[in-house]
Parts: sequence; C-alpha cells; structure tokens
Amino acid sequence: MKLFRRDLHSLSGAYALHALEQGAESERFARHLNRCPSCASEVREFREVATAMAFAATTAPPPELRDQVLAAAALTRQLPPEVKSHARARRARVPGRARVPWVPWLSGVVVVAAVVVAVLFGYAQAHTEQELSQARAQNQAIALVLSAPQVKLLTHATTKGGVATVVLAADRHEMVVTTSGLPALPAGKVYQLWLIRPAKTVSAGLLPSATSGQTRPVLASGVVKGDTLGLTVEPAPGTAKPTTTPILALPLPV
Amino acid sequence: MSPSDSDASRFRSVPTDRRGERDLDDLLVHVARGDQIAFETLYDRLAGPVYGVIRRVLKDSSQSEEVAQEVLLEVWRTAARFDPALGGAATWVMTIAHRRAIDRVRSITAAAEREHKIAQVDTPHDEVAEAVEASLDAERVQRCLGGLTEIQRESITLAYYGGHSYRQVAELLNVTLGAIKTRIRDGLIRMRDCLGVS
Repeated sequence: MKLFRRDLHSLSGAYALHALEQGAESERFARHLNRCPSCASEVREFREVATAMAFAATTAPPPELRDQVLAAAALTRQLPPEVKSHARARRARVPGRARVPWVPWLSGVVVVAAVVVAVLFGYAQAHTEQELSQARAQNQAIALVLSAPQVKLLTHATTKGGVATVVLAADRHEMVVTTSGLPALPAGKVYQLWLIRPAKTVSAGLLPSATSGQTRPVLASGVVKGDTLGLTVEPAPGTAKPTTTPILALPLPV
Repeated sequence: MSPSDSDASRFRSVPTDRRGERDLDDLLVHVARGDQIAFETLYDRLAGPVYGVIRRVLKDSSQSEEVAQEVLLEVWRTAARFDPALGGAATWVMTIAHRRAIDRVRSITAAAEREHKIAQVDTPHDEVAEAVEASLDAERVQRCLGGLTEIQRESITLAYYGGHSYRQVAELLNVTLGAIKTRIRDGLIRMRDCLGVS
C-alpha cells in the first residue's frame, strides 16, 4: 500500500503540467489530492513554475483579439460566486479538477450566456399574446442553433461603431445575429443583414430596433460555404439588393 | 494606472513576486463584479502570456487565437469563482489557458490538423520562438531550465510546451513511464527552487 501511495504521489508533476491523460488516472490523482495536503501544495507550487513558463512564452496576440474579447465580455453574463458549504466547496475547486474542459461544450456555454441576455429582450418587448408567441417560436428556433453541437462565436466591430455577435451553427446552415452599440438610425432607415455571395447577394432580414443599445437576436437560415455576412443601412422596410456600402462584412467559416 | 506602472507590474506579475500577484488578484476581484475597465487592464496584463502559451502548444495561429478568446472570456465569466486562497490570479488564468490548449491538442481532429501543419511547415518552432517577446521572465526561466539534467528539461518542455502526455513523452524519449514521472517531478522541484517559488 505504501508503494502504491508513493507511486501516486510521483504523478504530481505530470498532473500539474496537464500531462496525465483524461480518465481514470487523472481522476484518481485528483481524488488523492483531496486527501493529501502536501501533494496539493506541491501541485500548487508546480503550477506557479508552469505560470513562469507561460510568461516566458509571452507573445503579442493579434491586435483584433482585444476588441473581440472585450466586446464578447460585454455581452456575456458572469457566473455568480459559489456559495460554499465549507469542505465540499474546497474540494470542488482544487485547480484542474474541473471535469468539463471540453472545448465545443465550453464554446456553447459562453455563446449561450452571450445570447441569453439578448433573448430576454425579446420577451420584454412583446406586448401582446401574439407577439409573445412569436417571440417564443423565434426563441425556440434560436435555442436550436445555440444547442447545436458545433457552434462558432464571431464578434466583429462595424465601421460605424458597435459590434455584431454571430453564433454560427455551420452544420445547420443557420446563424443567430445580435448587435450592441450600433448608432441609432433616423426615422425611415433600417439595418439590413445580407448573405454576400459571388453570384448573388440575398437579404438575411432586418435588425430589430435596439433596447439599451442591444438588438435582440435574429435567425438567418440557408448559410452556405463562402458566404459573408453583410450589414447595411437601407430605407425602410428594407430593399431587395444592398444600396449602400456595408458597415460590416464578416466572412462566415462554414 | 499609468503606463510605466503597468510596464513595471508586468514583470512583478511573475508568480514568485507576491506584490505583483496581489495586484492581479485585486484586479480579478473587480472583474468578478462586472468591472469592464478592470477586465481591460487584466487583458493587457495577461493576454500576452495566455496567447503565448497557447501558441507554443498549438502552433497554429488561428486556432491559438480562437482558444485564447475562449480562455479570456472564461476568465470574465467565472472570475467570481476565483479563490485567492488556492493560488494567485496569474496562476489561475495560466492554468485555464494551458488546460484549454491541451484539450484542443487532444481532441482528435485538432491533433490530425496539427500533424498536418507540422508536416507542411519546416520550422514552426523557430517562428514561434522568434515571436516570443524577450523578457526578464524568459531569461529567468531559460536559466533555470538550463540548470536541469537534459532528460528533466526535455520531459518538462515536451509536456508543457509540446502538449504531450507523460506517456507520449516516455515514448519520445525512450524512457520508462516510472522514470518520466520522476524526472518531471524532480525537474519541477529544481525549477521551483531556482525560481524561488514559496
């Protein structure tokens, strides 16, 4: 038994560097950490070494990442703090123990958080039964996109300020578009979305009017490979072809 | 915060320096309350190392950008779950960043693409190395890595920067599993002492 314990203990380095494969061994070591304070503090120290190695690898990220991250954060609801019942909360938060690090899943959660806020506006704006049931139907369609197994979150600033956030479910050929901080338009003008294609540009619908600077999500279908999402200002109630220069042209990775 | 302040604190934010750590911890506490200005400052302090470590592991720049965005958003989203008692803010963020990079490497499609990428490009590693900003952090880590035995150094860099599991490292270095576990741990103990981690 003693040998077994020592053997397990020697995994602290590999564990701290995420070099254990996900599965039985990693989980067994994580359980061991709860019972072994000296192992836990060793892992903590090794993680600090790893942090120094991360700083040593410092590389300037592409400049557009900053705007993308800050814009997406502005649209993303934060988790509340954990309310801890002591021992258990502590156990659950040993670093690296989180069992969910699966990227597509994570993106889904981030994306859902970003759009949930916007979806709620849809309900807030519905005044009649009919509007409410329309909002519900639309939200169901949107929910299907958001729960698709592979979604991509794209955030891009427009040339007139504000940002558009797109949740793209490529395998469904659908996307959900929401915007934040776009300039208000004079009466008689609308924002119109387009799918820009080499052969023909097609309308992807109008942006709803904004509440607190944010437009509620709209669904666009029939997205195909090679499409670019465009946004223009058009005379109400929208046009068949874009008549002004797009303030956003975002290639869609379908 | 004046620019010179933030420059200086970039170096202080190395985990061994308690003062720098606490600074970032405070910032993260404000981020947890939804303070977007604090998040901007946090971004400016940590986006470089986050992107850098992800890039070292993934090599591919567009995938690295994607993962870095996810990591930084996760920091925003889960900031309230950060517990200073369990380690500093920089360590919390870098642990998430490295974890996500490793997840991406280990998901099958990414692994296939990565092999493809490595086969296509002759010197991906050198490019990355050149893009890495020369810094005191890098010098210190290089010096400490230099103090390890060759096998300790190779196991640690293959695992951390290369994104390999210790089984893969054992295979690559042609050493037994037991020996690799020990080399990684012994190497990290030496690194810890060399860097002055307490």
